[in-house]
Amino acid sequence: MDNKNQATTGKKQSQWTLRNIILIALIAIFTGIIFWGAGFLYTALTVALTPFGMAPFANDLLMGLWCMAGPLTGFIIRTFGSAFLGEFLGASVEVFLGGQWGAGAFISGLVQGIASELGFTLTAYKRYDWFGLNASIFTTVVVTFAWDMIRNGYDKFSLPLLLGLFVTRYISTFIFAGVLTKMIVKLLDRSKAINL
Amino acid sequence: MNPGMKLLLVMLIALEISFTQSLIVNCILIAVSFVYILTQHIRMKALLGIIFWPLFPAVGLFVSQWLYGSAGIHFAWILFTRIYAYVFLGATFTLTSSITDLSLTLEQDFHLPSKFAYGVLAAFNLMPKIVEEVQIIKTSALMRGEALHFWSPKLYFKSILSAIQWSQNLAEAMTSHGFVEDYERTHYKIIRITALDWTLFFVLLIIVQVLLFFIRY
Amino acid sequence: MTDVSINHFTFHYPESDVKVLNDINITFKSHHFSLLSGPSGSGKSTLLYFIAGLYPHFSGNDAVGEIKFGDTNIKDIPREKVSQSVAMMFQNPNQQFAMDTVVHEMTFVLENLRIAPDKMDDIITHALEFCGIKRLRSRVINTLSGGEKQRVALACIVAMDPQVIVLDEPFASIDPDSREDLINKLKILQEKHGKTIILADHDLTSYRNLVDEFYYLDPDTHHINLLDDEQAEHFFKNFESTQTINKKVEVPSGDDNSILKINDFKLEPHHSLLLKLNHLDFYKQKTTLITGANGIGKSTLFNALTKLLPYEGTIVFDGKDIKKIRPLPYAKNVTLLFQDAENQFLNITVKEELDLSLANRTNTDYTQADVDDMLNKLDMAGRDDRIVYSLSEGQKKKLQIIEMLIMNPPVLLMDEPFKGLDYHSLEVVVGFLNRAKKDFHQTQIIISHQLSGLDTLIDYHATFKNQNLAYQEVIK
Repeated sequence: MDNKNQATTGKKQSQWTLRNIILIALIAIFTGIIFWGAGFLYTALTVALTPFGMAPFANDLLMGLWCMAGPLTGFIIRTFGSAFLGEFLGASVEVFLGGQWGAGAFISGLVQGIASELGFTLTAYKRYDWFGLNASIFTTVVVTFAWDMIRNGYDKFSLPLLLGLFVTRYISTFIFAGVLTKMIVKLLDRSKAINL
Repeated sequence: MNPGMKLLLVMLIALEISFTQSLIVNCILIAVSFVYILTQHIRMKALLGIIFWPLFPAVGLFVSQWLYGSAGIHFAWILFTRIYAYVFLGATFTLTSSITDLSLTLEQDFHLPSKFAYGVLAAFNLMPKIVEEVQIIKTSALMRGEALHFWSPKLYFKSILSAIQWSQNLAEAMTSHGFVEDYERTHYKIIRITALDWTLFFVLLIIVQVLLFFIRY
Repeated sequence: MTDVSINHFTFHYPESDVKVLNDINITFKSHHFSLLSGPSGSGKSTLLYFIAGLYPHFSGNDAVGEIKFGDTNIKDIPREKVSQSVAMMFQNPNQQFAMDTVVHEMTFVLENLRIAPDKMDDIITHALEFCGIKRLRSRVINTLSGGEKQRVALACIVAMDPQVIVLDEPFASIDPDSREDLINKLKILQEKHGKTIILADHDLTSYRNLVDEFYYLDPDTHHINLLDDEQAEHFFKNFESTQTINKKVEVPSGDDNSILKINDFKLEPHHSLLLKLNHLDFYKQKTTLITGANGIGKSTLFNALTKLLPYEGTIVFDGKDIKKIRPLPYAKNVTLLFQDAENQFLNITVKEELDLSLANRTNTDYTQADVDDMLNKLDMAGRDDRIVYSLSEGQKKKLQIIEMLIMNPPVLLMDEPFKGLDYHSLEVVVGFLNRAKKDFHQTQIIISHQLSGLDTLIDYHATFKNQNLAYQEVIK
């Protein structure tokens, strides 16, 4: 192809170009559609765990997957708001595909978006490395968990169960939003498809 | 109702019932949304879908709260109805509004820069192609002897390569179609937020407040 | 008068020493229809993107030299006014629209140009009428065929009414009727409406007697030359000769073993019928060539054969309905060489790509010496650490062919496998394919427009025409 992809020119210009906005949206949709394929897994896990009253674990086990778009777009377009937009749009995709969450997905997207953006904010949009990614994972887990304390009534659970859910969520987020994201970014970096 | 106002209203109410604990208000919201959806000529399949699929998370939450929660079965019912309230509230928006109109109103009335409104819209309009592309990526990997799953970095890597290429193509095409970032445009379809929209928005929001204030069960 | 003049124009991509365009000095005359030809990937698109004002904005680095519309350097035209001077039609019909429906897209275009809303309906109606697609006005773009999409793209340009129209291989994936129709429309735009048309294409079908000037981008020197009539004629003749083959083939006699059987088959994506077959077999250890016009469904048939697309009827592979074969084993048995080589890559470097094929292949018929030999013969040796995405189009194709040969599937489907290959490489690849067939009993089904050089390979020939696919004795 003749029109080779070049990342945005110069670091001083705003990263919010038409191309980058479309790119963030496309990445969000691609990831949203890939997770959509994993939706059956969530339902199956829920069905399996419900008789034991452990259905929330399905949510926490897959949380990392749902929170991947944020760190990914945050890493690829390195500017304020990109992680938020990617994560929010990723959640919106589920709504338009007819997901089981309805308006809940918009709100989760909002919360998850703020959560993963916060990590990049804490590192002042300067640490695009393992540390920065871990900051984003940390804020994602803490903020989304706090949110589920309220929305999904986690605050009514006993401490051991609560801890179990928290640890599950941390591991899941660490694996998907952390390790997996890192591997993807490394592939992208090596392929020189985009200047990271 | 203006799609932007509708979305805002739906999200505000959904946010609010996340913090409040009223079983009856949840049920009222579900019932009202349901009736509204019925008046909008929705396909039976879509309707059954939004009744059936949320059953899994709703029952899951219910049972765990019932068994392990400290707040008893009443709270379990609140969580159960909350899930359905989200879904039905969401459906009043998604099943009745077009994202094209949403983009138009976000650009014209909410002063979202047009590059966001149309950039995101252009990407969403490629959704069917993206579904196909994911399938092509998976099939082509099978032909190389590798099965890609949602945990495979290469599935995302290849997807992002496509996204990079496509975003470039789309941005170029839109530019060639006269789109200039941060520059004024005319509007064929003017979408305004009317007095009726404002009235509906506030009346509905106030009704929900009143309900939540008086109905604590 | 707005001639488009290119002066001392030189361009190379960052991190590459090769000058894609080397000191170009040409003038595309006002009100003329100019054809720019040259092999795929030679840099035609790059020049067009600069003329359309999309580069350097989207390319990341600038060129040396200047492009002028009349007396005005394109860089001095304000961004919001560029569209009045020039508009572009792209190769890929799928990624050139922002909106959902045809009328929304055209409205979007006019809004961008700040046209008064009360004038829009008339402009849109007129443009659709001119392109003969009034019936598509409210259609969802995603449900249109490639040919229809390109007509919509032209309608957008007609509505924009720019002085110069630039087209980058616009007919690569569309049916012959659409192609002819679009070319006629362009001719009218040039002759009756005084537009300047600059069109890049490596496929020279139906341009003879139509274009005013024929420019050629030489892939070795990276210069562009204006050809005189005699030289142009030479190129047209040469191109025609690549589209023909002097060979009479047999129609399958029934003695062969069939490996793929298609029964009561119907292919109807987006509710438009592409192919209806009562019965057709593909035969074991034979090479079947499928020809037919662009955009009539050849690739779509391959998509059905690889389970990428739903179809009606049954496809039986080796005695088993393919719907009952699990995806991975099926994909390793009936493998598609994708038209776009990048689709096939999963790794980063050439070596990793080759290693993947060596690790995952179903048999070890090819020895390491065979692989090295293939790399050598295609001039791909010693490129182990190259990033596959940075290879030239021709190199990508060669690598793709080698890695799929190593996989050595029993059935290999190939969609335009010779596109972007020079003639020598084509002969080498034909040799490889012949060996795979004779020594390893491979069945091959090939879609190709390039016919010359394939004489020794083709056993059977099937023509795709009028929603039917049937074996023929002559190849044309």
